[in-house]
Amino acid sequence: MAFARFVRLMRRELDGWRLAGLGWAAVLLLPFLFIFSAWFAEPNEQWLQIRAYLLRDYVAGTVRLTVLTGLLTVLLGVPLAWLVAAHDFPLRRFFRWALLLPLAIPPYIAAYTYSNMLSYTGVVQKTLRGLGVEVPQKWLAFGSVRGALFSFVLFLYPYVYLIARSFMERQCASWVENARLLGARPLTVFFRVALPMARPAVAGGVALVVYEVLGDYGVTSYFGVRTLTTGIFQTWFGMYDVESAMRLASWLMAAVVGLFFLERWLRRGRLYHVSGRPRPMASVRLRGPAAALAFAFCFLVFALGFLIPVLQLIAWASLAFGDVWKPQFWRWTLNTVAVAAVAAFAVTAISLVVANVCRRKTALNQLLARWVTAGYAMPGAVIAIGILAVFIELDRLLAPFYAAAGWGGRPLLLSTSVAMLVFGYVIRFTATGYNAVEAGYESIGSRFTESARLLGHGRTRTSFRVEMPLLRGSIAVGFLLTFVEICKELPLALLLRPFNFETLATQTYRYAKDEQIIQAALPSLLVIVVSLLSVAILHMAERRMQR
Amino acid sequence: MSFVEIRDLTFAYDRRQPPVIEGFSLSVEKGEILGVLGPSGSGKSTLLRLIAGLEVPAAGAIDIAGKRVVDDVTFVPPEKRGVGMVFQDYALFPHLTVEQNVGFGLHRLPRRERRERVREALELVRMAGLEKRYPHELSGGQQQRAALARALAPNPDVLLMDEPFSNLDADLRVSIRDELAAILRQTGMTCLFVTHDRDDVEAVCDRYIVMEAGKQGKQAGRTSSD
Amino acid sequence: MKPRKALMAILAGFLLAGLLAACGSGANNGGSGSVSAGGPSADAGGAQAGGQEENRSGGQQGEPVVNIYSARHYEVDDVLFQQFTDATGIKVNVVKGEAEELIERLKREGASTEADLFFTVDGGVLAYAKESGVLEPVTSPVIEENVPARYRDKDNHWIGVSTRARVIVYSKDRVDPSQLSAYEDLADPKWKGKVLARSSSSLYNVSLLASFIALKGEEAAEKWAKGVVANFARDPQGGDRDQAKAIVAGIGDVAIMNTYYIGLLAHSKDPEEVKVAERVGIIFPNQETDGTHINISGIGFVKHGKHKDNAVKLIEFLTGKEAQETLTNSNFEFPVNPAAERAEYIRAWGEFKEQELDFDLLHVHNAKAIEIFNKAGWK
Repeated sequence: MAFARFVRLMRRELDGWRLAGLGWAAVLLLPFLFIFSAWFAEPNEQWLQIRAYLLRDYVAGTVRLTVLTGLLTVLLGVPLAWLVAAHDFPLRRFFRWALLLPLAIPPYIAAYTYSNMLSYTGVVQKTLRGLGVEVPQKWLAFGSVRGALFSFVLFLYPYVYLIARSFMERQCASWVENARLLGARPLTVFFRVALPMARPAVAGGVALVVYEVLGDYGVTSYFGVRTLTTGIFQTWFGMYDVESAMRLASWLMAAVVGLFFLERWLRRGRLYHVSGRPRPMASVRLRGPAAALAFAFCFLVFALGFLIPVLQLIAWASLAFGDVWKPQFWRWTLNTVAVAAVAAFAVTAISLVVANVCRRKTALNQLLARWVTAGYAMPGAVIAIGILAVFIELDRLLAPFYAAAGWGGRPLLLSTSVAMLVFGYVIRFTATGYNAVEAGYESIGSRFTESARLLGHGRTRTSFRVEMPLLRGSIAVGFLLTFVEICKELPLALLLRPFNFETLATQTYRYAKDEQIIQAALPSLLVIVVSLLSVAILHMAERRMQR
Repeated sequence: MSFVEIRDLTFAYDRRQPPVIEGFSLSVEKGEILGVLGPSGSGKSTLLRLIAGLEVPAAGAIDIAGKRVVDDVTFVPPEKRGVGMVFQDYALFPHLTVEQNVGFGLHRLPRRERRERVREALELVRMAGLEKRYPHELSGGQQQRAALARALAPNPDVLLMDEPFSNLDADLRVSIRDELAAILRQTGMTCLFVTHDRDDVEAVCDRYIVMEAGKQGKQAGRTSSD
Repeated sequence: MKPRKALMAILAGFLLAGLLAACGSGANNGGSGSVSAGGPSADAGGAQAGGQEENRSGGQQGEPVVNIYSARHYEVDDVLFQQFTDATGIKVNVVKGEAEELIERLKREGASTEADLFFTVDGGVLAYAKESGVLEPVTSPVIEENVPARYRDKDNHWIGVSTRARVIVYSKDRVDPSQLSAYEDLADPKWKGKVLARSSSSLYNVSLLASFIALKGEEAAEKWAKGVVANFARDPQGGDRDQAKAIVAGIGDVAIMNTYYIGLLAHSKDPEEVKVAERVGIIFPNQETDGTHINISGIGFVKHGKHKDNAVKLIEFLTGKEAQETLTNSNFEFPVNPAAERAEYIRAWGEFKEQELDFDLLHVHNAKAIEIFNKAGWK
């Protein structure tokens, strides 16, 4: 009887969709298994050296950067959110969305821009010298950890800002207004009501920031800050040692997994149930010096985080404008767009399948959903190493097949192809597409699906004829957001791109590293323009939600 | 022989909570219109969903038109059960016209036959002429009728209706009720009709049962129209 | 209708991915040096993988071609390749990457490689390539005439094209050049807090230290590294040019730099950078002892290359007087061809004594050099 039940269960549960979802989850497992296996391999000579001299530096660097960035983004993002959500002051409505714009500038672009701006021959010092001002170099020393922190905090704070702001605008109203009515002073209201309530939301935002910092290579390598990720690159390329690089990757992976659980644990206990419909808070109007201060603060952040770097980049780009007509520039753009489009397409397809399967909230389904989207937390370097290991093995296994098919001359078909890069992007960015699609499924509910099934349409037919047309908006948002994230991405592209295949991001990095800042400006601006698209989408999606 | 046979049905949403339906049995004759009354949470909608195949029972069996559709070893998916359902909020596909909605369940038929059936169904619910409208362009009553036409068009074995009148105002309710009764009789459709309104049951059904959550049996009653 | 469309879309997606895979692995073209032969790509996805595909193994279609894997990223290279093509009609396909990447690639490609030549900037890397077995000897009377034996691999697996020296620069305002004359001086406590250098992750520094290990032994090299680190004005950051700028900014007084960077600064489009070059002076260290450390850019002859004749021609061209002079005038490197004249700017520096070192040793001691840097805490 139990067996018959099992059969019935299988027949019901294991349709094509479920199988596809589970199959993909299994495929995802491979890269991480390979990295994990590095733990059990024999350490080589170089690893012992690394462990002796460098590992501590790497770990300390990673921890220090991550913790400091997390703290500082909260210190910057939350007050800004509070300011904009609960108060009224000149140009508040502008700042409300303008403070999101720094997100459009990838930190590694900000890094080299500011570094050059503040350098001895940069515009700042040049002007000051022209004015006869001698600036002590210490103040403007923009190297190393300070520079990295600046690049991270000022250009990643919007994650915290956005989430905190959304939360405060919608969920806090009655509590805050009550507190005000009870005579609490503004700061009290902030620290004892708004902040504690916003904590789970803020935790989510900080988590995003932290994952970005952990996976970063552009900023940290530019400033010579040693972290686990730069260590991986250095070991892999500088010392020709893939095995040790994998060991480092496994350390990093362990750290991320730990953080992942930490994040969930932090968010679990504090679910403040918000009753009633979300409604906007009544703002406190600021006057006089308070208003001026608020305005100045917002303007400063906006200028530093968007206005100034963009203007500088435009200035540099105008010097190299002729480059635009070089065929290679178009090739990089085409590369970037093509790979991003294919990967975003794959992400959307996978998201549609998995989100559909996971509409029923069983424990297994929730695990599946979490697993499939976990890539966002994983540093690109780790993913890259895992994928490389898998593909090399795959090539080895398929070698006889290649020979039989007459491709003897290409024994490395898979591990030197764009497929690796696309695969890496898909692993890393499935979360982006998934969130949008999942939200879409949630909003259309189950009734249309059920109606369609009762009218004789199987799961697949229903999906194509009923669900997807209704999900059009979410699919588009998911696709575009993923597309943009991929265009900005650097570490994966650097590691997995096939030969002679440059994207806008990698080329920017190359130029910056070679101190060719003028040439770097043009591809940088293009990346920023593409990223602005994502900020615009976020903004529009939010406005639609508010309606 | 009963047309819909339910035996010892048991269902719980969550294994940790008490079952919503326990040891439930029911027989419905062909062409019978059965009312299912009960307060919210008594499992009436769940019963419909179980018959439709949208949920799987923990125990028990259901037969429809002589075919076993679910028991310990069998599970026939919803699309193969020959069950039609009208939801509380109609669930008309917003991106399709009335015509396309009604024809949705007829995808296996050749085009000409499909068009003929759609026309018949729309005539039956007195919605001829509104084929090209979209659901959001219809009034509440019209939506309800379109939903009914859609459920009836593929000629199901059983029609399930879940609180079909709850979104209508009182006057409309009364007129539509009578219409519905007439249509059901005309087509000889076997129907299970969930509602919390006694008057609905009186107006439309041949017989009714009352469900209470967690209770084993149910009270049955014959309506005055019998 | 709709499901079919969607299905088509998915299939098209996979097709595209597959094509990208094929094109990605075959992409040999690209780089700024190739002249477009025109014509659309054979497969729909090909265009997106970057570059024209039709000349993958050029020779088969009879069009003369030579494929070069280059780890150098200087604009002058592209200029030279173009000049070569103009002169001989042989198309140059450049594939750019990092040196390690390229060697890995050559190793894995083995006999199926498309590369004919391997061009890179460090003697150690060239030695590593040779050790990896991807190169083979190349010789011709022209080459032998152009390049003295000193600047060629002893087995002729690679041919030098230019050299650069790693020198000490100092602040003209604050430093009396007679105060220091050797690399060893940088470790002298009297320069505490005044020394600037770039990170130890730079191959230029690693090779410098490797040369010390070769000439003076591990212990002395380690002592030197530790002494320099103790004298750092700040943690290593930035590139060579940043060290010069830091000197002028007053952060430090002396720094280690490659000679061609000085030339580039002096001829920069940015007037600020020119000013920086004017305010630093150059010392060629160790003239009394071992000589100044030099490093070499060279071309390796790939073992399984398919266009050997064209490759030889390219080497001959690049080591010929004209190309050598272009190289030095644009990039301020030292030509290897004795017949070529150095750029005017660097001629003013005069002659100097170079380290007499087998470049292979730069690779032999590479790992040790990195280890010593780590031990000494040179970031």
